[in-house]
Amino acid sequence: MADAIAVKGVRAAQAAPPPPAPRRLRNGFAPAVPGLAFLLLCFMLPVLALLLRSLTQPQWGLQNYAALLATSTYANVLFNTFAVAGLVTGISALLGLPLAWFLAVAPRFWSQLVFGIVILSMWTNLLARTYAWMVLLQDTGIINNFLIWTGIIQNPLPLFGTMAGVVIGMVYIMLPFMVLSLRGPLAALDASLFQAASLCGASRVQAFTQVFLPLLAPGLAAGGLIIFVMSLGYYITPSLLGGAQDMMLAELIAQLVQTLLNWGLAGAASFLLLVLTLSLYAVQIRYFSPRRGKEG
Amino acid sequence: MRRVLGLGVLMALGTALSAHAQNSMVFTSWGGTTQDAQKKDWAVPFTAKTGIAVVQDGPTDYGKFKAMVQSGNVSWDVVDVEYDFAVRAAQDGLLTPLTLTPAETASIDPRFLTPDAAGSFYYSFVIGYRTNAFHGAQPKTLQDLFDIKKFPGKRCFYKWSAAGVLEAALLADGVAPDKLYPLDLNRAFRKLDTIKKDIVWWGTGAQSQQLLASGQAPIGLVWNGRVQALEQEGAPVAMSWDQNLTTGDMLVIPKGAPDTAAAQKFIAFATSAGPQAQFATDTGYAPINKGSLPLLDKAAYAALPDAHAATHIDLNMQYWAAHRDEIAARWYAWQTQ
Repeated sequence: MADAIAVKGVRAAQAAPPPPAPRRLRNGFAPAVPGLAFLLLCFMLPVLALLLRSLTQPQWGLQNYAALLATSTYANVLFNTFAVAGLVTGISALLGLPLAWFLAVAPRFWSQLVFGIVILSMWTNLLARTYAWMVLLQDTGIINNFLIWTGIIQNPLPLFGTMAGVVIGMVYIMLPFMVLSLRGPLAALDASLFQAASLCGASRVQAFTQVFLPLLAPGLAAGGLIIFVMSLGYYITPSLLGGAQDMMLAELIAQLVQTLLNWGLAGAASFLLLVLTLSLYAVQIRYFSPRRGKEG
Repeated sequence: MRRVLGLGVLMALGTALSAHAQNSMVFTSWGGTTQDAQKKDWAVPFTAKTGIAVVQDGPTDYGKFKAMVQSGNVSWDVVDVEYDFAVRAAQDGLLTPLTLTPAETASIDPRFLTPDAAGSFYYSFVIGYRTNAFHGAQPKTLQDLFDIKKFPGKRCFYKWSAAGVLEAALLADGVAPDKLYPLDLNRAFRKLDTIKKDIVWWGTGAQSQQLLASGQAPIGLVWNGRVQALEQEGAPVAMSWDQNLTTGDMLVIPKGAPDTAAAQKFIAFATSAGPQAQFATDTGYAPINKGSLPLLDKAAYAALPDAHAATHIDLNMQYWAAHRDEIAARWYAWQTQ
């Protein structure tokens, strides 16, 4: 491996001049009209209607938002939502980085095989995958039965109907997004940088934390943000694998709409979710957008 | 040729569509084996008798229900809903009053009839358990259901805020059946707290079957028809009817339903003695028509809540409709704590 790294030359790409500005298209707005009209009618208007409902039902005012933030139930739900999204993002990064690294350095055959497995899991039906986890995680499921049979544990681990179950099921679903986000940056990584680092006296740990990680930061941030935002609004997996104590925001919204018919509060909860998502997106654009990074 | 053929197909389709619009209605229920039986025992003979086709839709969704009525764009004619929702929806003006004849009205069990809703079927919450889970004595009473020492393991309960679980907790805590209402919520939640960490929630009937069949929860408070279905499949489960808690599903017509006349006819037919008896035979859920029981054979009768009327307790749906929101707020707050 070290030889392979050594023969690679210094890449000139870092110093490449910026691409020429594209020629201005005339009347560039017109082709976007159908798509924009669709978004306006089918997305923006309903969102505004929902926002209006959260402010008008049962009467004018911010009472729904006050209830959402002041009631301990909803505070619990918000905490659960962030805890699960954070754990899923962190674990996906910890598992995804070595996996993406393997894909980048493994022989072509193995790399393609593993990549195929990663992609295949994404293409399988979400419900089917989640029900499969139910079978695996139950007290009488394969995992617990195996652990008890080997004598590692006496009583079944509480994997089903708990936050642990939700996190396991969601990491499995989100992992491919992390791997895909890291694949590009890893492929573009110049291996000679590590040699340079070690020539300058950096230890392996220093090379990892001061060269490797900063270069991958945009990929990690992009993957992490996709996963975090998707997790915030996730519904099926938490509702099937979680218990009542682990309710997340999307489940709460569904319950408010379908069971309690409290659409004002549902609107407030949906709007809160939307605002959280958009602010995270704004953070990404501001700090992690690759183009900005190069300009700055 | 192709063009002519295409035109012919279009015309035929047009005729079919307009016939469909004139002579059909939409029935919405919860799916699964229950709706299969409703289709076989109610919709098919109804179509044969009246010529009105019945399109099946589902599952019932109260949010959709309310949205349809409020937007004036209703696509459902008859909907199978839970009893407390039926009472609540009538209060909120979401329903069309029924036009049953005096004879039809008289034939229906008055427990399951309101001016805006007629019973679909009724059922009991029973104690379902695995017969191979406990050594020695088998669970029998609601006290047993809450007794972790005598009957260890997870127990499953209905997830949503609805009549049943709170009543069971109070009865297990020693409240007399005639003193249940108004519900002492503090006492009920205190009792539920004693087993909270051992509760697994089921959100659908199918889930309750899965929990019992897999052994994830060897005991639970479940619908009688679901345990019966498991028994018939040969799963090692049984049920105790001690203090079984009865409530019903109701048939309602949303306000502004496209074909109210057909909907009224359908409800009159579905709640009549014959179709009710046939549905009970197929599902183990009880008929709400007083004339149905004599039509049943012995085995079908033995599986029904009616055969265990001596030990059953009626859940008070008027109370639930009046306190639905405040109980729900406490229920979900307690659940997420």
